[in-house]
Amino acid sequence: MNILSNFLVFLVLVFSLSAEAKTLRTINAGDTDIDVRIFSAKGDTLLLGFACDEGKSITEEKTAAALAEDGIEVWMPDMLSAFMLPNLRSSLADIPSAALLAIISAAVKTGKKVYLVASGPHTRLVLRGAAQWSRQHKTPLAGAILIFPRLFKGEPDPGRMPQYVDAVGTTRLPIMLLEGGHTPARWELTPLKQALEKGGSKVISKIIPEIRGHLFSSKDNNRTEEVVTSQMAGLIKVSLFYIKEYEK
Amino acid sequence: MKNWLLKKTLSAFILLLCFCGLLQAAELKAFSGNPVPPPLILQDLQGKTHDLRDYKGKVVVVQFWATYCGPCRQEMPTMNKMMKKMGSVPFKILAVDMGESKAEVKKFVSEVKPRFTILLDEAGDSITSWKVFAVPSNFIIDPQGKIRYTLFGGVNWDDNTLINKIKALSKSK
Repeated sequence: MNILSNFLVFLVLVFSLSAEAKTLRTINAGDTDIDVRIFSAKGDTLLLGFACDEGKSITEEKTAAALAEDGIEVWMPDMLSAFMLPNLRSSLADIPSAALLAIISAAVKTGKKVYLVASGPHTRLVLRGAAQWSRQHKTPLAGAILIFPRLFKGEPDPGRMPQYVDAVGTTRLPIMLLEGGHTPARWELTPLKQALEKGGSKVISKIIPEIRGHLFSSKDNNRTEEVVTSQMAGLIKVSLFYIKEYEK
Repeated sequence: MKNWLLKKTLSAFILLLCFCGLLQAAELKAFSGNPVPPPLILQDLQGKTHDLRDYKGKVVVVQFWATYCGPCRQEMPTMNKMMKKMGSVPFKILAVDMGESKAEVKKFVSEVKPRFTILLDEAGDSITSWKVFAVPSNFIIDPQGKIRYTLFGGVNWDDNTLINKIKALSKSK
């Protein structure tokens, strides 16, 4: 009985601690309120992750919690729900830049070094937000991590160099690019790096072997993908380390 | 009994619609870049070297694909059917795997059983020179050895309109 009651107390403690780890904050962006899941931490680094998933990101939340335990604060704004947009790639263009700036502004006000992070097509939001921010504000953002960046403008055209969305090459933000070894985009990494560098960004790129481009959402992950998904926090910390090298 | 049959027919119809929806309609895009193709000299799974220039006089589909590409897997059976339909038409498919190992490609081939030539480019040299950044990417080369069309995405190669267009191209001078 004692063991059982001790175990129950332990469970209650664990759940109350994890409940404390994540808080919800609402940030006003003009006509809209945006819910932001915050995984607080005492360190000087804040990672602003554009998950855009209507709050369903279980794996992302685990990653965020692991980062917070290591002193990296993580903010995850739910941009789609704020504008009642469906979870489609086409919805990203409908998210106003003013809303991205409102979130970035709130993050910058914490006084921490703000890094932006996103994966797949959501990397467009990060670059758009960063480009707008650098045009309108003097306080620089610290950097961006683009995981499996998908920044094509329109459909890829065989035999032609890729055309990128307008925000590519318009910021001086230090950028880390992570791409899967089992994606066609790995062959595009060099031209993308060059396009991003045109704006003055220092860009580092790494290919993760045996990885396809959809870690968090895939239901048929291979062994390597399972490992990388579970160790995403470590991958992000390594990326921050590379970006911070440029700050020295 | 009648209701059961109706439900089954409806389900089968919906399934058929879903299946048909997996591959997009084939639309060849006229190529407006430099029509002279970059070099393509690669080995197949048996170690035989293939040079694109050796296929002058034939219509050649140069396809860039990968085992992890879902649409590639879906369209390959229709490419097999296309090969059959082409009969005596001077036609060749060179399907270049993008940067994977021989073992990975062999495993895929044993499952999908393509009836056309699979080439290996583990180093990815041809991928860079052909400017391929997505899969599947296709280049249609005319009998004179010039790139005439491109095609991106998984398509139904068994489509008669597409086959007729390629047959017409084989007669072009």
